[in-house]
Amino acid sequence: MINDILWSYIYALVITIIALTIYGMATRPNIVKKLIMLSMLFSTVCLMAVIIGVHSGSIKPPVYPGITFTEHPWAGTAELDIFSYEAVDPILQVLVMVAIIIGSVVLLFLGYVAIMVYRRYGTLDMRLIELRRREGYG
Amino acid sequence: MSSKPNEDRWGIIRDSIIAVLASLLIVLFAAVLLSTGTIAIPPQSTNRPLANYYLRTVFNHDLQWLWSSSPETVSAILLDHRGIDTVYGVGIFFITIMATLMLTSKLENSSRVKDMGMDIITRSVSKIILLTLPVIAVSIALHGHLAPGGGFQGGTVFALAVSTAFIALGQGFLWSRGWSRHRLLGLGVLGLVIIFSIALAIPVAGLFRGLKTYIMQNQWKPWSPIGFGYAYNLYGLEILYSGSLLFLNIALFIAMSSGLTLVFTLLMLREEHGKGGHG
Repeated sequence: MINDILWSYIYALVITIIALTIYGMATRPNIVKKLIMLSMLFSTVCLMAVIIGVHSGSIKPPVYPGITFTEHPWAGTAELDIFSYEAVDPILQVLVMVAIIIGSVVLLFLGYVAIMVYRRYGTLDMRLIELRRREGYG
Repeated sequence: MSSKPNEDRWGIIRDSIIAVLASLLIVLFAAVLLSTGTIAIPPQSTNRPLANYYLRTVFNHDLQWLWSSSPETVSAILLDHRGIDTVYGVGIFFITIMATLMLTSKLENSSRVKDMGMDIITRSVSKIILLTLPVIAVSIALHGHLAPGGGFQGGTVFALAVSTAFIALGQGFLWSRGWSRHRLLGLGVLGLVIIFSIALAIPVAGLFRGLKTYIMQNQWKPWSPIGFGYAYNLYGLEILYSGSLLFLNIALFIAMSSGLTLVFTLLMLREEHGKGGHG
């Protein structure tokens, strides 16, 4: 029962944050605030993907234990079956890792674009930028 | 921020409509995820079949024609099973860096900037950090096939160390020691070249021997009996290097650390030049 409530709470929290960030991106006129909301949305989606990979068995990272550069004993199907029961889902972690790298660079690029917009129009407010574009500013 | 007074009422109505739409969208999204069984409350008791497949095969000595010879499942999937995805990901990374460089191509040579950095306490602490963080980064990258970590993570840690030095010790600290945008870009391209040559090493070898091979192939398969091997015998010590994973981690470390260092340092330069103050 407590488990159900806890998991519902976690999912509800994540989903609420996603809804809030979409709202913020759509309504805030400042480009930097939009970028902050975008990065929050991105992190929350990554968090949600990692949570989806969790199962309720005994939880361990998806790394077969006890292996070093010099000590790597034979591991057959019997050992790997026990390991696969204990470890979490690795596929979502792979997805999140590639997403983090690409997302961070795309965010940096959008940061540069925001700097260029500020240099050209002298403001980061979308309403003022629209007005100044109509006036033929910049 | 000035806004016209008669826009306020319309703005509130518009914001409420967007809020309702956003919540409807996300409730729909959650309902779809729940109904398809992607998320379950409480979570399922075992892994999904696909995850079990990977977890059972990546280090299974009994199934050597399916394995990646690495105990780290995430690295094995990232660099072997889904290796081409990663190559495309690194491609996107560098295309974005190129776009950023094009935006900032009018920057003047930064070695002329006289910036002594922050006060003595911060400088001392960041010198210690600058000594330790790169070591940790290289360690993370080299153990990528044995423990959580890898080239991506190690490269990011290294770039953060350099950014710390850049902020605390001043911009001249790095530029006067021979770092430059061209060298960093060259290092990144070197990493990319290593990645592509590892990806094409087995196909080229198979071409000469007349064997069927795959791009980004790591271990041998029954229908393609050629691979990188997984352990190296060094005077009686069997050193596990997991085929191409160790080399790919090193190449990714070079590419990621130089690329991220380049964009971080450029971002800081931009602030300095744009505002003319202490950013």
